[in-house]
Amino acid sequence: MRKHFYEEVVETSSISLALADMDLTHEERKHLIELVEDNLHHAILDAVLSELSDKDKEEFLILYARQDDEKIWKLLRERVDNIEEKIKKTADDLKKELHRDIEESHKKSK
Amino acid sequence: MPGTKSPHYEFLRDKWIKKHKDLQATLSKKHKKSFEFLANNTKQLAVGSLGGLILLASPIQTEPPKHTQSQQETNTQTLGTIDNSAFLIADLGKVLPDTVRPLTEGEETKIDEILSSKFGMKVSEELNGLRLNRSYGLIGAEQHLARYPGDNMSTHFDGNLDDSTKYYSSGMAPGLGAWGYFATSRANMTDEDSEREKYYIATQTFLAPDFNNKVAVYRDFFKYRKMLVVNPHNGHAMVVVIGDAGPAEWTGKHLGGSPEVMKYLERVDGRGRGPVLYYFIDDPDDSIPLGPIEPL
Repeated sequence: MRKHFYEEVVETSSISLALADMDLTHEERKHLIELVEDNLHHAILDAVLSELSDKDKEEFLILYARQDDEKIWKLLRERVDNIEEKIKKTADDLKKELHRDIEESHKKSK
Repeated sequence: MPGTKSPHYEFLRDKWIKKHKDLQATLSKKHKKSFEFLANNTKQLAVGSLGGLILLASPIQTEPPKHTQSQQETNTQTLGTIDNSAFLIADLGKVLPDTVRPLTEGEETKIDEILSSKFGMKVSEELNGLRLNRSYGLIGAEQHLARYPGDNMSTHFDGNLDDSTKYYSSGMAPGLGAWGYFATSRANMTDEDSEREKYYIATQTFLAPDFNNKVAVYRDFFKYRKMLVVNPHNGHAMVVVIGDAGPAEWTGKHLGGSPEVMKYLERVDGRGRGPVLYYFIDDPDDSIPLGPIEPL
């Protein structure tokens, strides 16, 4: 699986650990982690694209399809202020939501 | 299996799939123009890897990975408004090897599932226990086939100037197709006969497993058997019939396509050949028309 360009600034271990404490089979846990990653992926893509002009979006998507992470970061740093922070915040906000879902799941099973 | 899954899992799965759908819808709505630009310009932009498109498509998996059947059934839940071909290309790209070689049983099964799901029909590399030597190979250009005694390049297009302009230069094969003429005479030729010639492929029927011991069975099975041919690089697909046997092994090609098939698939590159998937269509009622078909 491709390493996402944003993986250096986004981590999901807290959710993986929370899921590890639940009564789940290996496949179920793996599937939920994939869903977490899919959710983060689309949230981050939306956040990044929303910061770019139409022309820059196209340039970003071409680099993205070519998996040229170095040029992606160069483009984003040149065109968007504090892009790392913006990506981190998007990921953190979503992770908080996902943690709340996990808590809700615990409450429901009591 | 219903009832055996953890309640935590079911709760979170449903919640996070819904969240994912919402995020996809937002992404698609807000940046539709940009995604379409990428999907429509993949070739021109020399985007060699499909990895990026795969990630953009990122279909929702609604079951754990081991449940491949249900996973594929729901893989159509994607960024709905983006060109469906891009998703087809992406999904196929996950399974197909980098080199053109016979697919493994596991790969063939995954392709079955993808194509059946994307085109809304049952396709398979094997039907009634019979199959070809491969389901992924290099297709090369064939010539027009004579449809009835006396059919030649001046009669072949039935007065259709557009078709004549596009396809005249391919010429007519000196011999008949593997099943002889498509009709006994021009007067007896039906639309079905004409379409079978127009949308035909030649496959290496003679290399089918155990062919020598099942010649009669294979002959009846292969004759005008409907197949789905897909160019995995642009998503172009066509419902065709097996209209001829070939090409010979020494050519390095694995199947051939009529001029109409090759043009639509855009499969002829500078070397005169390119890879395609070719799978049998299970169509017992003969209800699926021949010709180009779009993914759902």
